[in-house]
Amino acid sequence: MNPRLLQLLLIFLAPAFWSCNDQCKETRVTRQFTNVTRSLMELRTQVKSESPRAMEKPGKMYVKGDYLFVNEVKEGIHIIDNSNPASPKFVAFITIPGNGDIAVRNNILYADSYSDLVALDISNPSKAVEVERVKNVFKNGLFDGGSWNLNESIGAINDQNVEYVTETVTVNCEENVNPGSWWGGEIWAVADRAFFGAGAAKSSASPQSSGNSNGQAGSMSRFALHQQFLYTVGQNELNLFDISNAAKPKSFTTVNIGWGIETIFPYENKLFIGSTTGMFIYDNSNPAEPKQLSTFQHGRACDPVVVQDDIAYVTLRTGNACAGAQNQLDLVDVSNPSSPQLIKSYQMENPHGLSIDFPTLYLCEGEHGLKVFDVADKFAVDKHQIAHFKNMDAYDVISLGKTLLLIGKDGFYQYDASNPKDIRMLSKIPVGKAI
Amino acid sequence: MKKSTYILFALLLFTSAVNAQNAARIKYVNHTEVGGLFGRVKFDNQYNGNLEQVENRNSMTAQTFNGIQVNKRLATGVTVGMDWYRAALLTPIAAGLRYDLTKNGGVKLYGTVDAGYGFAWFHDDAEGFDTSGGLMLNPGVGLRFGKDGGPGFTLAFTYKRQEAEVDKPPLWGQTERSEHRVYNRLALRLGLSF
Repeated sequence: MNPRLLQLLLIFLAPAFWSCNDQCKETRVTRQFTNVTRSLMELRTQVKSESPRAMEKPGKMYVKGDYLFVNEVKEGIHIIDNSNPASPKFVAFITIPGNGDIAVRNNILYADSYSDLVALDISNPSKAVEVERVKNVFKNGLFDGGSWNLNESIGAINDQNVEYVTETVTVNCEENVNPGSWWGGEIWAVADRAFFGAGAAKSSASPQSSGNSNGQAGSMSRFALHQQFLYTVGQNELNLFDISNAAKPKSFTTVNIGWGIETIFPYENKLFIGSTTGMFIYDNSNPAEPKQLSTFQHGRACDPVVVQDDIAYVTLRTGNACAGAQNQLDLVDVSNPSSPQLIKSYQMENPHGLSIDFPTLYLCEGEHGLKVFDVADKFAVDKHQIAHFKNMDAYDVISLGKTLLLIGKDGFYQYDASNPKDIRMLSKIPVGKAI
Repeated sequence: MKKSTYILFALLLFTSAVNAQNAARIKYVNHTEVGGLFGRVKFDNQYNGNLEQVENRNSMTAQTFNGIQVNKRLATGVTVGMDWYRAALLTPIAAGLRYDLTKNGGVKLYGTVDAGYGFAWFHDDAEGFDTSGGLMLNPGVGLRFGKDGGPGFTLAFTYKRQEAEVDKPPLWGQTERSEHRVYNRLALRLGLSF
């Protein structure tokens, strides 16, 4: 063997000796909480209208006429002029500390600000003005996994700031060989997702009171308007506000309803309340006094519900507060609201918000994008998937008939959905960019 | 993925370029091998106070090289294989070279290189996990027992580097979790060639 060959041999063999170790690095992004105490006295001075700014962490969205309201989680509300869906324009940003939910009746916008309900006059959307505040009505809440609660005796909010920390550790290269190690996680994800919201409500499915004009919320909304009342759901109660005088909301009553309440969807004379243990149906024919009719219990996981024509569409997903193990869409027959019956369950990937514009169902699949189904045949929904948009993050969708509004981690999208078989994108507002 | 595709194509181009010189007499070469991938792993054991721990990692491998004899020493072709890593089943597809380092004798020393991309097509993920493959590089030397031009047994002693990416479901309090894997293994293979 000549020396050149030997050299070659060494070059080939050397790596084998110096690194026959598998190297596996796991990168994790973890939430870290720091406790802070905020003074209510100070928080109550901070609500004001400011110049528009870019979206950073969009939460729920709300539509009223030509205007869109997009919550910036815990910070406030973006007001967007959407008279031309192909080029929406930021109008203003309303700073509202501790805001997560929105409802609009006539020219009055209702928003939560930690413990308070704030009413703002938005007749001039670029200059919203606070007109009323109902104090200390919400006792606790969650933002992005961090919880807050009201300390009434000293007039403060005990809050948690959330930071995201990225860390890299060496691991043994074979985690998912051993099931169980990851099964119970993700408790906090629900809070996160809940506040990223998922939205859905169909124009005709939103109750309109005579003489008043309400906006439209999503299926993940915690606020709902019905006749002279504003309904809000907290972790374990339902609050009613009398808004017969829209500019002067008054705390009316509180109903206790179990634990882990996530969403409220009003339909006809019923309230459909999504919780982590099931779906509650309340009779709301007397709006001042909702009465529980039934509970639809399923696995310990629950998410938004939308209803149309006696069928409730409920999505369940893993990564829920209840550590559920299902990713599915349930169709529930609610023609007899005292005894809801399951029609059929369909396997999904990671369903979030949904919206029904019968017979078209829009369903957000989180990082798997948006799916569009024809639900005319309720026993074969999975066989009638019209479209699947990938490469986007979809949390929240509102169908307005011809237009479709969609929000995800990476931005806000609008689609022309006049033909559900051929949905085209009209515009996109990316996160972190002003337009 | 992109990078790897480039490398793959570059190698394929190279091999076909070499081919062109001897278009006249083409001799088909097959080299099929099975063997083991032997390695270790050192990691922080989170269930034991993050103490470092070392474990053995052995898995099975099989591959087949199909190509043409370019000249007396060099054969080029495509290598397709299957690697049963414990947490991933990968299918590397690579451009391969086999080069005789010694001229004479019943036992020949040869050099072998396979470079390409390992795909996770046949890997079935647990719910919430998403495994994708990565670059693969497999250089080494081998011994071939048999007559020139006829069938023979081979024994290859190589180093195999295989990358992979895994998206994992987040644990408590996490929002994202992913893993970058590099399998560094000593690959010992027995095979047949003709």
